[in-house]
Formats: sequence, structure tokens, C-alpha cells
Amino acid sequence: MSVLAASFKRNIASAKGARMLNGRTLAPTINHNSSAGLKVLAVLYKGGDAAKQEPRLLGTVENQLGIREWLESQGHEYIVTDDKEGPNSVFQKELKDTDILITTPFHPGYLTRELVEKAPNLKLCVTAGVGSDHIDLNAAVEKKIQVLEVTGSNVVSVAEHVMMSILLLVRNFVPAHEMIERGEWQVSDVARNAYDLEGKTIGTLGAGRIGRLVLERLKPFNPKELLYYDYAALSPENAEKLGARRVEDLKEFVSQCDIITINAPLHEGTRGLVNADLLKHFKKGAWLVNTARGAICVAEDVAAALKTGQINGYAGDVWNVQPAPKDHPWRYMKNHLGGGNGMVPHYSGTTLDAQARYAKGTKQILENYFKGAAQEPANIIVGLGKYETKSYGQR
Amino acid sequence: LQIVAVLYKGGDAATEEPRLLGTIENQLGIRSWVEELGHEFIVTDDKEGPDSVFQKNIVDAEVLITTPFHPAYVTKEIIDKAPNLKICITAGVGSDHVDLNAAVERHIQVLEVSGSNVVSVAEHVIMSILLLVRNFVPAHEMIERGDWQVSDVARNAYDLEGKVVGTIGAGRIGYRVLQRLVPFNTKELIYYDYAALPEEAAKAVGARRVDDLKDFVSQCDVVTVNCPLHEGTRGLVNAELLSHFKKGAWLVNTARGAICDKDAVAAALKSGQLSGYAGDVWNVQPAPKDHVWRTMKNPLGGGNGMVPHYSGTTLDAQARYAAGTKSILENYLANKPQEPQNIIIGIEGYATKAYGQRK
Repeated sequence: MSVLAASFKRNIASAKGARMLNGRTLAPTINHNSSAGLKVLAVLYKGGDAAKQEPRLLGTVENQLGIREWLESQGHEYIVTDDKEGPNSVFQKELKDTDILITTPFHPGYLTRELVEKAPNLKLCVTAGVGSDHIDLNAAVEKKIQVLEVTGSNVVSVAEHVMMSILLLVRNFVPAHEMIERGEWQVSDVARNAYDLEGKTIGTLGAGRIGRLVLERLKPFNPKELLYYDYAALSPENAEKLGARRVEDLKEFVSQCDIITINAPLHEGTRGLVNADLLKHFKKGAWLVNTARGAICVAEDVAAALKTGQINGYAGDVWNVQPAPKDHPWRYMKNHLGGGNGMVPHYSGTTLDAQARYAKGTKQILENYFKGAAQEPANIIVGLGKYETKSYGQR
Repeated sequence: LQIVAVLYKGGDAATEEPRLLGTIENQLGIRSWVEELGHEFIVTDDKEGPDSVFQKNIVDAEVLITTPFHPAYVTKEIIDKAPNLKICITAGVGSDHVDLNAAVERHIQVLEVSGSNVVSVAEHVIMSILLLVRNFVPAHEMIERGDWQVSDVARNAYDLEGKVVGTIGAGRIGYRVLQRLVPFNTKELIYYDYAALPEEAAKAVGARRVDDLKDFVSQCDVVTVNCPLHEGTRGLVNAELLSHFKKGAWLVNTARGAICDKDAVAAALKSGQLSGYAGDVWNVQPAPKDHVWRTMKNPLGGGNGMVPHYSGTTLDAQARYAAGTKSILENYLANKPQEPQNIIIGIEGYATKAYGQRK
């Protein structure tokens, strides 16, 4: 940088609210809106070659939710990284003067209380997706940091993933496909643990947006019964439309189900909810699907239950820590016939269709914030100093 | 009289799981009943070649029981060697492994247990559509390898919502597929069939009929095949028809393997003309070790959802078709009328309207 530019930078930097957009560009100061020149930090997942070949992978470090130009044209600084673990990570180092943090559940920047303490300028957290448990919400409440998510952006995507997971577990798909790949053909070996979904009792733990979409999709499969467990009852119209019966005791609920699907957020009331003790009350040979959050189930207890046959299968795309370590038990656990595992990385809510929606929704949330316009109420998890959502536990 | 049944081998599984009724070990659960009536019951899985138990014993058989999951191919040549044969019963749905025209000529009845696994197969269709569109197999394989790279699976993963899904065939299975698709909020549900759905039925699922096959496939993001195999459908999905598909469409075939030209499908998948192919039916079963459908992939290394032929032989389905086979046999032995929907070929000829249009 030339001497002239350097002195220019020093003079301007001392002016209140002024920022350098990058080494050579001064952020506009003619915009007297208090949100001029903010620092926006986004933690997204790496796309690599895929992101270059497939521009619809908007939620990647490379494609940056498609908002870089828009942010910079308004004078904001935009830092995007996938480097999130440890105090030397780009995420943790850049937090110190970040105003707005964008995160995504598929590669979550875990904003712990400790990190919140180190982010004095942080005013707004936006989840590009659904589910904001990776943020310490209680700390956000205390520090008057708002937490918003793009509600609804991938609720259908996840409900479809639930349906797919239920069918592939009950119908024993993975061992059947593996048999074909091995060059073999032994129908009895896969048929012996293959059932129809018809006539089974299916229960959803959580009857919120995703849970209700799952119940709708289950109906034409002619289940024996559809049940739900939730601290909030379905409205009478919904209960009738969906044909789902509420069960108020959790152990009673699980004991009635052939299939259980978890569709609840992760919070203090659901962390570790499905543990060895609860699994004992499942019907022997039940199937369990968890596309909600990994930590709702105790990892070792699920693996053990699958091994003994207490559960016949487990599938889902969420893990207690993401990315999941190479040796995570959920990668390799099997039932006694060598099947029963339908695990995938966390991607159900980041299909190309879903990414378009949550990228757009993230931009809309930012736009509202910059203009001081009202946010969609459904998107507000934590407002100024308090929980707005009713979904993250009873308070 | 002599009853011959060709079923699949169960091995240890059949001993450990008695609900595997459709196995040579568990014999549809009808051995004692048949023997008490004084008939001979020969059960085998050995079906290929003139020295096989099937082909040697067919010469005396009056009743032949077969199953689509391990089909005894009852060719005209074999029928000619079976002078006593009067009735073929399919333990399951789909009797194309019997030369139906030859059966008509000889006044051999062909019956199947209609409806016994139509729901089973419809469920397998929905599962296959979802796992192709949502790119499940590469994602699961990634986890098994110890890897984690979301973008590599997300790049070819879509929602079913908002897509156009079409069924070739709107019979018992095709219609149940349409019913199960309704809440998924597809852009459109369309069908191709020589018989139109009754108006209320079409309205109930919101399905639109398309009269021209090329036009039909060109409108679909997902094509699912749900029709029997007969002269009108053998090789229907060939290279020419595939060239009219939307590029990147997904194709599911749980009907009969031979409806699709296997090499044309493999080539279409390889080029990306198809994004994925899944199903449980093969032009010859058991499928040979080197069958191209075992290993074919799309340009990203995914797009294959093949399994052995088992969708209609879940434990739930086996119970139904075993009970139904016994019922058909019981009616035959007692000279009682059969359920009309079970009659593919009656004594006078084709009774079904599902196996192609006939004068």
C-alpha cells in the first residue's frame, strides 16, 4: 500500500462507523444508516470442484449464498470460511469484531457461550437453514443477540428424507443393494428382514412443521395408526386431518410404535432423550429414524440397541458432532443380520432445491435487518433479550 | 394328482425365519394339507436346463406353482412336454414367465394371487424414487468409507416436491403409486395406459392422461414403470424412447426387467441422459454375476438403486400370497369358481385385460 493510501486509511479508520471494505476500498460513509459498513461472517461448508461445476450449490464457501456482490455493494464486509474448529480457526478469530454471523446446520459453527463472550459486536445470528441449536441460545438471550433461521426453507426436504429413511429401513434396502453390488443373488437373505410399511404403527416425536409434513406423507401408506408425542397438542383440525392420536407419556408412546421418527429441535428438554433407558421401552425390533439432531439420541446407546436387535434399524442424517469423525460408531453399527444402517452425512436440508430457498431467505432476513424492517415472526428464534419461538422447549 | 412348485431357496434363513413361506424349505406352508388330500407335492428351486428337477418333473404335473422371484420359465417347448398340465398358479403377481399364448392354445389355466403384493411393490416404487432423487446411495457409501463431504452428495440431490412424476401403467400398482405420491406435492402426476382411469379415480389423485408415449416421457422428471410384461411392453423402453426423456430424469422399474432394454438403460445412465435407475426386476432371474445393471453408474458415480427381486416377497407379502395360492388350489381341487381378478388365462383364453390389448 502506498504512503498516501496508508495515511488515508488511518484518517478514515478513526472516523466513527467507517470501515475499509478491503485493502484498497473504503466502505461508503454517505449512507448514514446505522447499518452501514457492518462485518458479516459466514461459516459454510466447502464445495471444492463440485461448487465450481454446480453453481446451484449456493451454501458453499465458494458460492457464498450468492450474496457477496449484494453485501459489498451496500458497503458491508463479508468473510466466508469453512474453518471453524479451535481458537485459531478463521471462524473463532474473526468473531471478535463480527456484527452478523451466518451459520448453517450442515457444517455448524458452534457458537458456545465462551465464544459469545468474545464477540462484543455480535448483534444478529442467521441460520441458513432450520435448527439453531448450534448457537448457545440462552447466552444469546442474555447478550441481546437476535437469532433467526429461515423457517420452512427445508421442512419438506427433511420430511421427504424421513419417508425415504423409514421405507429403506423397513424394506431392508441397503443389504439388498449391497448384495447386488457383490455380484450375489439370494432373495431369502434380504426378504427375511423385509416388511411392508402398511399396517404398522408409526409415531413422531414432535408434531411441528416437519412432523406434520411427515404425518401427511404417511397417510396413504395405510399405517395401522399414526401417533405423536409433543408438549403442544395439534389443533383439532390438524389432528383430524392428519388422523394422528396423541400419546402423553413418552415410554407409553415408544412402546406402541413399530417405527419412531424424531422431529423435534435440540434443546435442554430433548438432549439425550433417547437413551438406553428409553430404548428398553421400544418394541423389540422397532425402527428409529432421526433427521432432527444427533444429540437427541445417545450415540452409544443406539449402537448397542441395534447390535442386540432391540432396534432393527436406525437411519438419519444428523450426528452429535458434525463433521462426524471417521470412527463415529454410527458409521459402522449394524443389526444382527448385518443390515439396519441408513446413515448419511447431514444433507437432507441442503438439496439443490432447499439451498435456493435458504439462500434467498437468508438474504431476506439480512435485508430486513439492514432496513430496520420487521422480520417474519416464524423466523425469530431469539428476539431482543428473549425467546420468541415456542418450539425450543417449554419456558 | 401331481403338484410341482418352483420356489426360491431359503437356506438357514428359512429355518431361522419360518415366515419365509415362499421358500423350498417352508413350501408355502401347504405340504401337510396337500398330502392329506392325497396329492403328490414336489418342491424345488432347480429350474434351469432339461436335467433340472423342474423340467424333469413337469412331464407328469397337473398343477404347477411358480413365483416371480425365482421364476420357472414355462416356455412353449416345456408346455409341449407337459401333457397333464392343466393349471399354472403364480405365487405372487405377474405371470409373464409363462408363455401365455401357448397356455391359451392348450387350454391351460393361468392364475395369480392378484393384489397379494400390490401395496408392497407400490411402497418399493416410492422408496426407489426417493432414494434416486435424493441421492441416497452415494451419501450412505460416503459414511461407510469414513468420509464427510456434503457438497459431493448435495450437488446431485433434489426434493421430490415440484417434480413431474409419470407412471407407465395405471393398474393396481400404478394407481397405488399415484395415491402415495399425492401428499408429496409434485408439480404434476401423469400416466400412460391403453385403458383410462375411471373419472373419479383420476380426480382423486389428480392424474392427467398422456396419449403419446414419447410426449409422456418428455414431460416427466421421474418415470415409473408399472405394467405387466407382454408383447406390447417387451423392450418398450429402448434407446429411441430414452432419447425422448428429459435429460437427467430418473427411471424406476419394479414391473419386469425386460420392459427396458438393459444395455440402452446402462448407456443412458452412463451418459447422464438418465440421472438414476432403480428397481428389483431383471430380464433374467437370478441375474448373472456380470449383469450390467449391477455396476452401471451415472457420471458422478451414483444413480444405481438396484436390488434382487424381492419387493413383492416381504414377510408381509409372503403371508398373503401363500394364503392366496392355497385358496386358488383349493378352488381348483374342489372345482369351485375362482376369484375373477386372479384369472389371467381361463379355459377359454385370456380373461385379464391387463396383459395387452386383444380382440
